[in-house]
Amino acid sequence: MDNKQGITSLADIKDGQSGIIVSILGGRILTKRLSDLGLNSGTEVKIIGRTLFSGPIQIEVSGSRLVIGEGLASKIIVQPK
Amino acid sequence: MTGEKKINIVLAGQGNAGKSSVFNYLTGLHQHIGNWAGKTIEKREGTLFYKGYTIDVFDLPGIYSLTTYSVEEIISREFIVQQKPDFVINVIDSTNLERSLIFTLQLLELECPIILALNMLDLAKKKGITIDFNKLQSIINAPVIPTVASRGKGLANIIDKVIELKEKKPDHGINRYGKEIENCIEQLTAFLQDINLPYPARFIAVKLLEKDSDITKLVLGKKPEILEKSRQLCGNLEEIHGQDSSVVIADERSHLAAQITREIEKITKKKEISLSDRLDAITTHKIIGYFVMILILGGMFISVFSFGNWFSSWLGTIFKDWSDWWNSNVGNTFFASLGWAAIESVLSLVQIALPYILPFYIILYFLEDWGYIARISFLMDHLMHRMGIHGKGCIPFIIGFGCNVPGCLACRIMESKRERFITALLVTFIPCSAISVIIFGLVGKYVSILWAMGLYLFAIILVYIAGWLSSKIVGGEPVELIMQMPDYKTPHLKTIHYQTWDALKEFIFIAAPVVVISGIIIQAINLAGWMQAISSFLSPVTVNWLGLPAITGILLIFGILRKELILVMLAAFLGTTNFSDVLTSQQMITLAIVSMFYVPCVATISVLWKEFGWKKTLTICILETLGAILLAGLIKRILDFVF
Ligand SMILES: Nc1nc2c(ncn2[C@@H]2O[C@H](COP(=O)(O)OP(=O)(O)OP(=O)(O)O)[C@@H](O)[C@H]2O)c(=O)[nH]1
Ligand SMILES: [Mg+2]
Repeated sequence: MDNKQGITSLADIKDGQSGIIVSILGGRILTKRLSDLGLNSGTEVKIIGRTLFSGPIQIEVSGSRLVIGEGLASKIIVQPK
Repeated sequence: MTGEKKINIVLAGQGNAGKSSVFNYLTGLHQHIGNWAGKTIEKREGTLFYKGYTIDVFDLPGIYSLTTYSVEEIISREFIVQQKPDFVINVIDSTNLERSLIFTLQLLELECPIILALNMLDLAKKKGITIDFNKLQSIINAPVIPTVASRGKGLANIIDKVIELKEKKPDHGINRYGKEIENCIEQLTAFLQDINLPYPARFIAVKLLEKDSDITKLVLGKKPEILEKSRQLCGNLEEIHGQDSSVVIADERSHLAAQITREIEKITKKKEISLSDRLDAITTHKIIGYFVMILILGGMFISVFSFGNWFSSWLGTIFKDWSDWWNSNVGNTFFASLGWAAIESVLSLVQIALPYILPFYIILYFLEDWGYIARISFLMDHLMHRMGIHGKGCIPFIIGFGCNVPGCLACRIMESKRERFITALLVTFIPCSAISVIIFGLVGKYVSILWAMGLYLFAIILVYIAGWLSSKIVGGEPVELIMQMPDYKTPHLKTIHYQTWDALKEFIFIAAPVVVISGIIIQAINLAGWMQAISSFLSPVTVNWLGLPAITGILLIFGILRKELILVMLAAFLGTTNFSDVLTSQQMITLAIVSMFYVPCVATISVLWKEFGWKKTLTICILETLGAILLAGLIKRILDFVF
């Protein structure tokens, strides 16, 4: 099922690329918190940049910038564009 | 004139939208302002007298939702519901319209009268964003007012609107969800009509479907049978959508916000990359970013030091002959010398502390208002995880360099209790501006600037080790970072000026009396001939273990009141600010190290007490005092080889 073409986690797409959120692998509270910040399934996310090693990721969602930890980013499943 | 001319308004909105800027402008008070989300941590009340009305204004912490997951959200929601303000002013960051509307839609569900302040319009314009106010106004059926809070633009219009609508408050449009959800809401509201809770029935219904724990508890106390029904409805929704019902609702709300945004917002993308974008790319670059950070913080360090030294010496030349003047004109009787002790204490305070504190705060507030603080959090997140906290922990640290008290309070931006405690504990190791006075004014000036830098580095390494240790002891995993990244803004000089002035005022009005009283007491002890007794009582520690002059014992005791007292009183007592006459280089370094790490000052202790209880606070105080004395003594023994 999960093998739909190209689906991957947000942590795995390159800087400058974007993807559309397919699902969020997390509990209700996490999903809700992300949703309040505009991260829902169906929204487009663009990776702006990250720090060295496995640092946090800077993303752009509907015009606003957020920083999320790498572990969290790997729970956000996206379809790269 | 008839009737009460009193109006209550509340400022609510997401973090960093400009609520406190509106508040400060309206009330003339000085809430902390800066370009990062989470500055306001408690509600604050102020009053405005306008056109014969007395208007009470409340500033709230920034929140992202009315479903209660964080303390701030509970506080804010209850406040709005219980206070029943005449109007909620929903302050919105126009450059983040879509995200802001998600919150606005929830406010509408509370069915309280709202007015939208579309703030930061200047920035929106710069980004090529135009917003159709009239359309937004007609969609949500609430007044929409364009504002630029930092320059006070449009704020009077808000108040005019409040007064105009006071008598006939508008009925707002309510956001409609999809058919299935509306169906569930309808079924639940039917049961909720006579529940007698302070919330609107529809709001309760939606929150039940969102599984809000607070509302569920309230309903459980009144009509537990409703919960049965809502569980069943949630189950239905989950079956249809294959997702938790709270997620289904949140998703719909966001889609609605996106849809409204599409209708009212036009973005004409500008071709050229703006200066702020360029700066952003450089300052958050994976390699260059770190160099820039070192340059900025190092530059700050060096400018504070060089300006401070120059200013301090200049003040020294001015105060030089005052003591002789006093002696020859007032004399040196018992009371005259007590009087001089008081004056000398204040002069020492001004000469030693002010020159370093002033440039420090100017630069700090500049960086804050510009938006650099969030960048530091971004860059440092990885390293901070080793200390068991995430990148936002940098913010209390940076504030702690100014003063540990707001530093400890800022720990509330950390999401969990565990992280709050670790962060606050580490803040107490951060050399605040009072300690910087000792580092710069003593070690920097009389040993060398390199040693002063070394002490800072030492403090940072110690923070790192303490963080690593305490996260091992406390256990648990750090929460993942989620942070708003604000755009860089042109720093607002007036804001920096006000905030610096506030910090200085507080410094002068709180420090000066303490310094005067301590100065008089120490002088009295001295004149009464007790100094010897106290000093020799403490001398096993001060003289034998730390190798310091005996007088430092009493100074370290007074230093608990305020750390800069240690140096100021030393100067006042010795009657000179030329410390190299009385202390050797290694004594200066040892004294600086003890001062840096022994017990936090009383103000910090009281905040720790309030936030974490007396047990943890007492443990911190005792461990830090013992640790600092041990450490400084060991370092003194190492320094014996160096000098
Ligand atoms: N350019 C511009 N800057 C603004 C405007 N309003 C506020 N600011 C700036 O935006 C930043 C945030 O303002 P605050 O008033 O502290 O925001 P807040 O909503 O109280 O933030 P929190 O208390 O952290 O939730 C500050 O740097 C302000 O100077 C505006 O209309 N235009
Ligand atoms: Mg605020």
